[in-house]
Amino acid sequence: MKSARQKTAGKSITPRQQQNWDWRAASNFICGGSGSGLLILSLFAAAAGADVRPAIVLALVLVATGLTCVWFEIGRPWRALNVYRHIQTSWMTREAVVALPLFLCGALAFYTQHIVWQAASAVCGAAFLYSQARILVNNKGIPAWRHPRCLLLMASTGLAEGAGFLALAATLAPPPQPVATLAAAVIALSVLRIVAWRAYLAALRHDGAPSGSLKALAGIDARIVFGSGAGAIVFAAAAAANLPGAVLWLAAAGALAAGGGWMLKYTLILRAAFNQGLAIGHLPVRGRGVSGPPVKPGWGGLG
Amino acid sequence: MASPSPRSVTSVPSYCYNCVAGPDFMKVKVVDGVATEIEPNFDAEQIHPARGRVCVKAYGLVQKTYNPNRILQPMKRTNPKKGRNEDPGFVPISWDEALELLSTKLTSVRAKGVLDESGLPRVAATFGHGGTPGMYMGTFPAFLAAWGAIDYSFGSGQGVKCVHSEHLYGEFWHRAFTVAADTPLTRYNISIGANVEASGGPCAVTRHADARVRGYKRVQVEPHLSVTGACSAEWVPIRPKTDPAFMFALIHVLVCERGIDALDVAFLRDRTSSPYLVGPDGLYLRDPDSAKPLVWDSASARAVPFDTEGVMPAVSGRFRVAAAISIDADEERHALADVEGVTAYTRLVEHMGKYSPEWAAGICDVPAATIRRIANEYLDNACIGETIEIDGVTLPYRPVAVTLGKSVNNGWGAFECCWARTVLAVLVGALENPGGTLGTTVRLNRPHDNRHMSVAAGEDGFMAQKFNATDKANWTSRPTGRNIHKTLVPIVGNTAWSQALGPTQLAWMFQREVPEDWNFPAPTMPEVWFIYRSNPAISFWDTASLVETIATFPFTVSFAYTVDETNHFADLLLPEATDLESLQMIKVGGTKFVEQFWEHRGVVLRQPAVEPQGDTRDFTWISTQLAKRTGLLDAYNNALNRGAGGVMPLKTETYDFSLDPAAEHSVEEIWDAVCRAASTNLSEGRETRDLDWFKEHGFYTVPMSKLDWYLSPTLEKHGLRYELPYQERLLRIGRELGNRLHEHKMHWWDEQLSEYTALPEWHDVPGRWAQAIVKAGAKAEDFPLWLLATKSMQYHTGGNVSIALMREVAQNVRGHTGVIMNAKTAAQYGIADGDRVEIRSHIGATYGNAVLAQGIRPDTLVIIGQFDHWATPFAKDFEMPSLNTVAPMTIELTDATGSGSDIVRVALRRMEAGETV
Amino acid sequence: MSRYVMVIDLRRCVGCQTCTAACKNANATPPGVQWRRVLDVESGEFPDVRRSFLPVACMHCEQPPCEEVCPTTATKKRADGLVTIDYDLCIGCANCVMACPYDARSIVHEPQFAYGDQPIASEAVRFDPERIGVSMKCTFCVDRIDRAAETGQVPGVDWEVTPACVNSCISGAMIFGDIEDPESNVRKLLAETQHFRMHEELGTGPSVYYIWDQA
Repeated sequence: MKSARQKTAGKSITPRQQQNWDWRAASNFICGGSGSGLLILSLFAAAAGADVRPAIVLALVLVATGLTCVWFEIGRPWRALNVYRHIQTSWMTREAVVALPLFLCGALAFYTQHIVWQAASAVCGAAFLYSQARILVNNKGIPAWRHPRCLLLMASTGLAEGAGFLALAATLAPPPQPVATLAAAVIALSVLRIVAWRAYLAALRHDGAPSGSLKALAGIDARIVFGSGAGAIVFAAAAAANLPGAVLWLAAAGALAAGGGWMLKYTLILRAAFNQGLAIGHLPVRGRGVSGPPVKPGWGGLG
Repeated sequence: MASPSPRSVTSVPSYCYNCVAGPDFMKVKVVDGVATEIEPNFDAEQIHPARGRVCVKAYGLVQKTYNPNRILQPMKRTNPKKGRNEDPGFVPISWDEALELLSTKLTSVRAKGVLDESGLPRVAATFGHGGTPGMYMGTFPAFLAAWGAIDYSFGSGQGVKCVHSEHLYGEFWHRAFTVAADTPLTRYNISIGANVEASGGPCAVTRHADARVRGYKRVQVEPHLSVTGACSAEWVPIRPKTDPAFMFALIHVLVCERGIDALDVAFLRDRTSSPYLVGPDGLYLRDPDSAKPLVWDSASARAVPFDTEGVMPAVSGRFRVAAAISIDADEERHALADVEGVTAYTRLVEHMGKYSPEWAAGICDVPAATIRRIANEYLDNACIGETIEIDGVTLPYRPVAVTLGKSVNNGWGAFECCWARTVLAVLVGALENPGGTLGTTVRLNRPHDNRHMSVAAGEDGFMAQKFNATDKANWTSRPTGRNIHKTLVPIVGNTAWSQALGPTQLAWMFQREVPEDWNFPAPTMPEVWFIYRSNPAISFWDTASLVETIATFPFTVSFAYTVDETNHFADLLLPEATDLESLQMIKVGGTKFVEQFWEHRGVVLRQPAVEPQGDTRDFTWISTQLAKRTGLLDAYNNALNRGAGGVMPLKTETYDFSLDPAAEHSVEEIWDAVCRAASTNLSEGRETRDLDWFKEHGFYTVPMSKLDWYLSPTLEKHGLRYELPYQERLLRIGRELGNRLHEHKMHWWDEQLSEYTALPEWHDVPGRWAQAIVKAGAKAEDFPLWLLATKSMQYHTGGNVSIALMREVAQNVRGHTGVIMNAKTAAQYGIADGDRVEIRSHIGATYGNAVLAQGIRPDTLVIIGQFDHWATPFAKDFEMPSLNTVAPMTIELTDATGSGSDIVRVALRRMEAGETV
Repeated sequence: MSRYVMVIDLRRCVGCQTCTAACKNANATPPGVQWRRVLDVESGEFPDVRRSFLPVACMHCEQPPCEEVCPTTATKKRADGLVTIDYDLCIGCANCVMACPYDARSIVHEPQFAYGDQPIASEAVRFDPERIGVSMKCTFCVDRIDRAAETGQVPGVDWEVTPACVNSCISGAMIFGDIEDPESNVRKLLAETQHFRMHEELGTGPSVYYIWDQA
């Protein structure tokens, strides 16, 4: 993202895709959401008696990867600790704050396998996931992010991805695995994400958003709903029904659940993040002329 | 933003006069000896119409100073072969060597005589944009004056990029080299192609903004929605080059539909030739004894000379005149008895009868109802009968104006537009009256400072005119310059500016080829050609052919800022200290070009805010050195003493700051004398300010009455009339000019002679461009679109094409990334926004990116500015198109004043991916 | 307490970019970075077309979303309404860029100059490495506003303490002043005219008012 936004020349009033957060920032939402979702789901898996150590490791690696990517993105990485200066209102500060106990609790959960630490790390994961969602929602400059339903979407996809990764992690741990339980989680959270996604999309269309955002999001609708969503559900159902190769069905379901979330967030941040654009509330009266209708090009939906 | 830790910060007063809409005041902020910012000069807030502000261009001057592509020391050419693809092989030399090289050349030329065997000056000079280079060339005008005859014929855009017909006819009719609305007072402005918001400078922009808020109405009539159209109350997208038809229809509504009772009868009667009786031969009926034009005296019911004491002339009507004479070309007199005399006004009414809005609608592609409404709004806003007090004097208040833009008032059709515009003004008494259509300065007449002083009684109750002679005894049968202005264009006259306002494309064209029936001495090449602040290889037309001509010139000297497409062919590059680095004083205020009419007049200093970069030198130093080395020091100093420095004489009856003619004076000495003379002169001896005072304070002005804005009171004082609406004199001199040319067996100018008419007729103006294509051997239908050019406020003049800041900010303004076209038209051609396109005329092609818009006629393309650079650093990477590349230079597209229009018939196509040219 | 606002009369603006250039002069912004710019906006369909010019920059919002999201407190809203950025604190995370609904902020990650890799003299003398990799935007020429406190001058009245864009505007489209002062130019002008603030529905409380007609 070097030299971002250096070419303002010729910019128009129409919303345009944000240029300042590239794949590195997107990676934080992708990996961080998956990792924190995985931490949350791990608690339930652990409560069900599963060995969640691989999952915890994977979760922490994911969160750390996301944060590292961001560190490479920011303009002044050597003063990155300034990120902690604004806990009063900044969800980026809060995300960074939560990251500390998240790693601590996660590490303790890994070493002790104690349910308390597992629960603590899950709580941190939830806080982290929520913080990330709020980072997006509080960005007023990006209509596709600031929509209130983006919050549930981000949370649900984090959980669905978490379930997906848990399912994947299950293939790494020695049997026996609670395949049916995991499959049920994948199904439930995939359904939740589909519901959240469609609710988000419908509300965005209803309330109005930059046409570019709507187009980019519409472009992945089928893949979200019928690709990763339905696919994960079908494969998970196959696993739950204990068809031959149930673990592999589960893994496939997990991969689809996680991959669908990654695609969603990649699109949301790098393809559908059209800014507000600018607008003229009333065209000016030039001399003895007349005013004209408001100008706010590049917006779609009903709003 | 301040420098992290500046040691010194100063603010240096100066001026910007990079375009004709200046000068404007500014200050240069200097941090630790480096110019960092341009700021308005608020010390001038109360005296400058734009409140001490400069436009966007001035903000580029910092980068202009430090542009790494500048030429910073003299260079000479080492490759004797000149061509676009030849490396000039410029090598650095010292100033001493450069000046020696030049002065040796000049001295050897001078030894042969300043005129060559064809009677043409051996030295030619081309300066850019509207005389503004003079505001940066220090005392070089004094050197040129000392030299003697110099040919300014080779245009860099004059005639094709300016409002040429307005310059000539405007000055003829109402001492209006440039014409403007009296924007501070006007209520209604029909702006036909005038892009005043882009080209009028801060004074015009400020005034029109005030007028908008005040509630005036401006109707913008032009094929595309320009910046000015954007800021207007209404846009009328007229078909290109049909403006005369539109304006004829406006006149039709006024005189044929509303009628004389709705017009300013008193003005028509007393200040115009409307009452003059015209005979059946189209000439004025004149008194057999005095030869004065006759009018019909309503009181005595008989025809009497126009200036008969107590006469009450009839403005309209037909009358029997017992005895009269008429005077045709070459003083051919006809005795007439019992003849019908028709007033000039009635001739006008009858003439305009056929030009109804319904007639014009089909030509202009503008609904008749729109034309009729605009005409009626114009008349209804004219406030006929109302008065206003200006500085204690009661004057008519006529707040309606018609303004014309480039390409409307040059080339074919421009005469008709200028005439119609001025007639529209006189019909309602708005010519040169408060709120109306004003001239703002003179250049063909003198003095330049005060057009009122150029008003004197001439023939037939009109102002005296200094036309070039067309009578047999005095016609200049041997051209005195290569554009033949004195011979071919009577109304351009022969003062200092006249040469440069001749048919400048003829100078270029006839270097290559002359017409078959050419019977003048052969056009020769100039032996030395000076060029400064001008790049005709980009800014004129048919640039591919033009550079071939430039390449043949034997010795070209360029006062060069960067290498460019013209000085690529130079033999010597002399880099002068530029805007922020050199010393000069100029006049400000009074009434100048465009909307620079002030309530003050005075002088302003430009001073070195920073040290000159590299080994660039002050132009005054260069001029003095040249004068000394060519043995012209005495004449040069005397020229300075006469005021050739452009400000004031250094010696008058009341003061004497003159320079010793025999001595070489420093730059500061010279300008110190000018400062003292100027301040003493302006204050009428009350104050004398030296250079140091001016360096601190920047400018010196004295108040001026707004009455100086209006010429009609001056005409009234002299008892004179405007030579409108009937053009008997033009008719006669056109016939005389025809006689002279035909006596010399030349007919190549015959089509132009058709423009000399008493009342202009509509001729198929746009059709001339189609005919030109056919004449060139191509098919008109192969070039279905019009290509127009329009001005860029950010780029035009002053080397701004090299300024990165201008490039950057200009791109915020639509069209600065390519060629503007209607989105539907583009769709028909399969062109999307940003696609690379070819725009081809019958002489060549230019290439650029499509800029899709709704605010442009579907049959029209528009290119902003002038680009297609291939040598100028920075600009050569723009990949921008240029009309100049594809506009042909031909006699048939040259009008009688010698001007042409920035308009070409073109074909359009989308270029394939990867296609190269 | 003062609250500084800018009033932009769209009836006057001609889109000349003088303010854009003056801002770049005054603030030494690198190529392509325009803290203030004027947009050229076309609407309608031929032949019923309108073209308008819209000067835009930081709106110095009353409830600045950029301030809320900034994790470092580099972005702050002052008591006089100016929204500022402390370059020493900013980490260049661009969260504020995403939060701003006015596209007012930019980040430059490498030094850039008008003519290639090397600064020209006017760029070198003012090059500020502190502005690399951090968020930047229009400051309302805050150093001038602050100077007013020292000199006793009035922003919007005395040019020395007035933003460069306002000073430069040749159409007189821009007025600056204290909206809390009942005698200020901005207050009077707003009382005489019809105006709007951009994206007011977002609850940002912009300090830039656009005039479009008389009252």
